[in-house]
Order: sequence, then C-alpha cells, then structure tokens
Amino acid sequence: MITIVDYGMGNLGSIQNMLKRVGVPCVITSDIDAIEAAEKVILPGVGAFDTAMNRINAAGMRDVLDHKALVEKVPVLGICLGMQLLTRCSDEGNSLGLNWVPAVTHRFAEGTDLKVPHMGWNQARPAQASALTADFDDDTRFYFVHSYFVTVDEPDRSILKTTYGIEFDSGVQHENIFGVQFHPEKSHRYGMKLLKRFAEI
Amino acid sequence: MTERTGMQLNQDLQEAGVRVCSRCIYDERVPAIAFDHHGVCTYCRQIESLQAEYGTGSVNGERQLAEIVEQIRVAGKGKKYDCVIGVSGGTDSSYMVYLAKQWGLRPLAVHYDNTWNTAIATQNIRKVLSALDVDLYTHVIDNKEADDIFRAFFLAGVAEIEAATDLALAETMYRAAARYDVKYVFEGHSFATEGITPVGRNYFDGKYIKSIHGMFGRRPMRTYPLMTFSRFMWWSSVARIRKIRPFWYLDYSKEDARAFLEKEYGWSYYGGHHLENRMTAFYHGIYMPQKFGSDLRNNTLSALARTGKMSREAAWAEYNTPPAVEPELLEYFKKRLELTDAEYERIMSTPPRSWHEFPTYKKRFERMRPIFAALAKANLVPMSFYLKYCFPVKST
Amino acid sequence: MLRTRVIPCLLLRNESLVKTVRFGRFGYIGDPANTCRIFNELEVDELSFLDISASREGREPNYRILAEIANECFMPVSYGGGISTVLIAERVHRLGFEKMVVNTAALARPAFITELSAAFGSQSVIVSIDVKASVMGRPHCRAVSGTRDSRRSPVDWAKEVRDRGAGEILLTSIDREGTWKGFDIELIRSVADAVDIPVIAQGGAGSVEDIGKAVNEGHASAVGLGSMVVYQKKGMGVLVNFPQPHMLEAVIG
Repeated sequence: MITIVDYGMGNLGSIQNMLKRVGVPCVITSDIDAIEAAEKVILPGVGAFDTAMNRINAAGMRDVLDHKALVEKVPVLGICLGMQLLTRCSDEGNSLGLNWVPAVTHRFAEGTDLKVPHMGWNQARPAQASALTADFDDDTRFYFVHSYFVTVDEPDRSILKTTYGIEFDSGVQHENIFGVQFHPEKSHRYGMKLLKRFAEI
Repeated sequence: MTERTGMQLNQDLQEAGVRVCSRCIYDERVPAIAFDHHGVCTYCRQIESLQAEYGTGSVNGERQLAEIVEQIRVAGKGKKYDCVIGVSGGTDSSYMVYLAKQWGLRPLAVHYDNTWNTAIATQNIRKVLSALDVDLYTHVIDNKEADDIFRAFFLAGVAEIEAATDLALAETMYRAAARYDVKYVFEGHSFATEGITPVGRNYFDGKYIKSIHGMFGRRPMRTYPLMTFSRFMWWSSVARIRKIRPFWYLDYSKEDARAFLEKEYGWSYYGGHHLENRMTAFYHGIYMPQKFGSDLRNNTLSALARTGKMSREAAWAEYNTPPAVEPELLEYFKKRLELTDAEYERIMSTPPRSWHEFPTYKKRFERMRPIFAALAKANLVPMSFYLKYCFPVKST
Repeated sequence: MLRTRVIPCLLLRNESLVKTVRFGRFGYIGDPANTCRIFNELEVDELSFLDISASREGREPNYRILAEIANECFMPVSYGGGISTVLIAERVHRLGFEKMVVNTAALARPAFITELSAAFGSQSVIVSIDVKASVMGRPHCRAVSGTRDSRRSPVDWAKEVRDRGAGEILLTSIDREGTWKGFDIELIRSVADAVDIPVIAQGGAGSVEDIGKAVNEGHASAVGLGSMVVYQKKGMGVLVNFPQPHMLEAVIG
C-alpha cells in the first residue's frame, strides 16, 4: 500500500484522488505505525522548508521515515517541497533536510527576466534512464510552482532536467529514493503516468 | 466490494433449489411468474408474442420500421429536426443515433442530466454526437434539488430511487419534441436484449414522485421536470407525439453495436456495472440487492439466455455471484445525500415499503384502459406502458 | 505546449454550477465536483472557479465545496468570490487553490491587493475586472457580481491594480458574456497594452477563431472560456467539452 505521509502540508487529497483514478490503492496517514507498515512512501509538500522539517520532527516521524527510506529502502517519492526535503539543506531556512539524496536546494536568482516563483507548465526532459520516467516523450510536461530548486552533487543522480532561465534538476533518484520538483497531482495525464510508474516500482 | 446477500443461491443451475424457467433464468421468486407445460415462463411467452407482433429481426419487422421511418421523414419536412432520440452515453442510444442518420433522418439528441453522470457518459455523448453532427438538447436539474429527491425516496424506503430520473427523461424528450414541433421520439428499449421488467414490484408515475417528495423532501421542486397526468395526456393525445422503439423491429446485438461504436467513435463501454451514472450504479449494485433482495441483472441475463447468446448455466452462475461495486460509490452516495453512516445503516435495515402505500395514478390508468389500448395501438404510448400500467396488480 | 493559456471558467451559485448571460439570468450546469472530474478527463491545463453569489450575499467562500473541488482537480485551479481578507485567502490557498481572484474587495480597498501579494506572492493574486458600458456608453468597472458601478475606467484601474502588486488581470466583458458574439477586442487591447502583467480575456467567446483574435489582435496573454466549454454549441444543451488541441494550436500555436 502506498502511504502518503501527512505532516500537515501538501495537496494530499489530490494525490490520493489521482492514485485512485489510476487504480492504485493508497492511504493518507500521520500515524507512525501505519507509516511503519508502508510498502511505498510519498512525501508531499507545499510551503516553507523549515516549517516542514519542524513538523516532521515534532510529529515524531523522523525515525520511522529514516528507517523506511535508508534501512528498509522502500521506494520513496518526494513531491515539490517534499523533494527539497530529501536534500542536505536549503537556501530557504535554517533546518537541515532529511539528507537522503546527495544534493542541495538553492533559490532562483531574482532580478532576471523570469519571475520567481517558477509557476506554470514546463517540460521535464529525462537526463538518464529511470524506472520513473521510462515513458516520457517530447510532449511530457508538468505543472511547477516553486521558488527554490535542487542541484545534485553527482550528475548521475539527476533523472530529469527543466529549463527556467537556468537548467535545474526537476527529478532526482538515489537508489530507492525519488524526487520530483513538479506536482504530478496537478499535471493530469502526465502526472497519472508518473504516479503509475512509481506504483509499479 | 462484493457482498453475498441471502438471495444468492447455488451457482450450479442443477443445484438451484428453486424452479427456473427452461428457456431463460427467471425463477419462481419473480413476481407474477407462471410456467407452462414446457416449463417456459410467462415472460418468455410475452416476448414471443411481442416479437410476432413487431416482426423482430424479420423482413416483416424491417418493413414495419421502414414505413415508420418514411412517415417520420415526410412529417419532418420543413422542420429543423424530424425525430428526437433520448441519449445517455450508453450502447443502445448511441447506436440509435447512428441508425437514424443511416436512415436519412435528422435527429435531435435529448439528455436529462440528473448531475450524477460520470465523465465516461459525457464523453461518449460528445464523441458520438460530434462525429455524427447531431445537435443536443438537455435539461439539467439543480444538483441540490436532484439530491433532495433521491434522498426523499431513500428515506421513504421504497425501491424506485431511479424513477425520478427515468420519468424526467421521458418528460424532457416530450418537451424537446414539442419545442421543435417533432412528432416522433425514438427509445432504445429492446425486449430482446433487456427483457420485460416483471410487473408489480417497481412502479412509478408523476403523482408517486410528487407524493414521496412532498412527504420526505426538504427543498421545493423547481427545476425537476415533472410529468403530471395532464402533461402525459397532452403529449400523447393532443400533441400526439409518438414513441418508436426501433429495436422492437430489428435484429439488434448489443455486443456488435458496442464493437462498432468503439471502433468508429472511440466510444467507451463502461461495463455491466452501470458506471455511466453513479445513482444507477448504486441502485443496481447496492440498493436493490441489499435492501430488496432484488437483483435486476436477471433481466439482461435472461435475455441473453433466451436468445442463446449465453448458456443458461453461465447466466445462472453469474446471476448468483454478487455484483461488483466501485469502492467509493457508497461514500459518494452518503455524502451527496447528506446521510451519516448511522442514518444510512438504519434506513437500509428498515423493512422496505411499497409504492402501494403512497398516492399514485395507478387506479386512474386502470380505469382508462380502453383509451390507453387505443393510444398504444397508434404508438402514442408504448405498448409496454399499456401492459404494465393499465392492469390491476396484486400487492406483493 | 500552447503559448497561450486557455482556461475554462466555471461559475458557482450556492452549491451548483451555473452559466449566466451578461451576468444576469442563469441556467444549471451540474454538480461542481462531478464536473471537475470531466475536466480532468479532458486534460485542460488550468481551471477557474468563481462564486457569483458570495459578494452579493456578503459572505465568505463555501469552504466545504472548495475542498471537494480542489481535491478533484488534477490541474492548477484558481478561485474567486467573497475573498475579502488575507485570512480568507489563506484558507482558500491552503485548501489547494493555486491562485486567488479578487474584485469587490480590491475596488473597495486597493491596498488589499498589496497585502495579498505580500502574503502569497503576486503570481497567486489575480484581480478580476468586470466591465460594462455605462449609460453614456463608456466602459466602467463593476463590483459585486456586476451590480455596483465603481465608475472607474478599466485602463486606469488596471494600471493601479498592477502597481499595487497584482500578478494577473482577469478582464471580463459583462456585455459580451454568454452571448457567443466574440470578445470585446477594443477593451482587451486597451488594457493589455497598458500593463505589463498577463491579461486573461473573458466574455463572449463563440469559436476557436475568437480565441485567436483575443490573443493576436487583443494582445491577451490568456483566454477564459465560459459558455463554449459547458454547452454543446450556441443555443444547444449542456455538454462539458474543451476545444481540440490541434484547433487551438492553429490559432495560437
């Protein structure tokens, strides 16, 4: 059962509905025992980095999440802020991230032509093969809304690239841990395919 | 999501434990059923005589229909449309639109939207009508009013929770026909593929709907198109709008029609679980089996057995397997009707009530039998209406 | 990917979806959450919901319905109607709406726009400008679902709205709404040329060609569709639909 972690931030309902729509059972929970039983984990997120990390820690979820991701190594998918939380740290805030993926999170530079946040539909191009992105084509696009972006330490952790002024990593993978900067749950057909791929991993 | 109710019997026809028709799979529990010395039930015989009368699938039937189509073409000259076709996104109505165009007619498609349609129904209607270049007339009820009427029927504890939708479609088709001065309405009913619903158990008319809503509803009835008796008489006897059922005359295979629609229009079949409308799905999958011990699949399954499209053994086995139901259907039903889990359980376990207990037009229809006999002969009311409504029925 | 956004704009009246003509008489379209599901199937890139009775009734948004809508939509959604404080906007945003639309509250107190921008970022703040010709034939901005004349000119107000920090302008011609007669290109161009923020043109779309005109002649950055996406065609029945991608591409690439 795919478990969507509820720490109080993110489009949980939309993610669940999209999974239902593609025939994948899932549960939204903040319960430690339920997370413990998860076969796969989705970490959603909308909002501020520090707020998110504080909530995760305050809810006592940190240990079980670390265990699932790093010891049991179940497939994990971080979405939007959820992906940024996977990194070491972020320009936004002072907290440390979960540090499950060797990467950092930076802020888009102000003062360029393009507005911050990056908000709208944009393409995500496969940087290298990954189970998550197997059926991407030239049309594949997603809905983005973010002011911060992720940069991986080693190029081979980047599975998707997107251009917004600069080129940044819109998708990452480190072993069993995946992250996508965009919102699959707001990207209709493309999001459905991606979530289905994740369910099949 | 499948629940065996007390009514499911042994799936092996040989071990059924009840008397089953030798031709279809209606068994002795079906209201007003009798078996002749061949073991064939009264419903099979009724269909036999309808087939003889309408020449179903024979040259005679084709000729009868061709004559009607010609009448329609002539009557429609100078008008924007010459016939009205009720559409739901389903197989029968979608295929009928195609046939009408084949016959050189200029149909107006009509839909009554009870606001519980699934996306698949809307898409199907859109695809077929756009490919065939057919205009659509709809009546959409206020969604809250729709829910109030459904809720009233549910609280009343009667079986006919779908009645409001069915009657509203009939009324909407008449209104559309009248609006464009069209005298012919096509309906997709096929006694060969659907059988005839046994009389007695379920019943509905405008007075019944008004009574139930009056007793258990909370919102005024403002956007619901109610077919009162006088409206019904007006449409049939004064406006003289005729009801035609092409599949009573023609050889019609639902399976072939489906394959055609899928290939030609990208139409989608939503399976036997009534996924075109969530209220219909609730009615067939949960309400009737669980509260009334009535599984309406025996209509279509018997029809398939009767026409040899399915073996009686296979039909019986399927009938005695609990129906599959979409998992969130029940939650959706309770949410829209504003019922708590406790209220829902309570009402579902309350003994069912019958239409006999509420005011209806039934007695009036019976008193006017000779008039309706004449109207039925002239196709101004369907023959099946006459057979079901104008004869007294014992309280079951 | 289309370079211009085409956005179905759906109207909420109490708990029903409706469609109006010139902000006046209305017809029922269906159940809001149910209709979202159909738009999911049609794969539209963005959806907009406006509650047309909230301001008139002086009430807050119907959060229960909004929660349902937000959960049902597989694409970004904006909402307007009864957003009169930052707290209300907060609540709507948290339910899952990417953008907030304001009109009445902004006309009453333009500083509200700045407050919203500061709280959510300008990209999430859309100011809706509803325009109707005055008795003298001049375009005036209207508040409270078209019932109150603010006496301000659209171009003037648009400039102020932009200065106050709005991210986008939703420009609706009340006179054209629901008529299928085509957009008010003059109006659109006058506003779009006056500001450097995106203008979403709305009111009167009857065909894909109209959409092309709004963009190419009117200089709109995006287009809102009403009647076109809920009726099968002009004068015919309710049938949720969306123009085919290849047809849109032909006019706005």
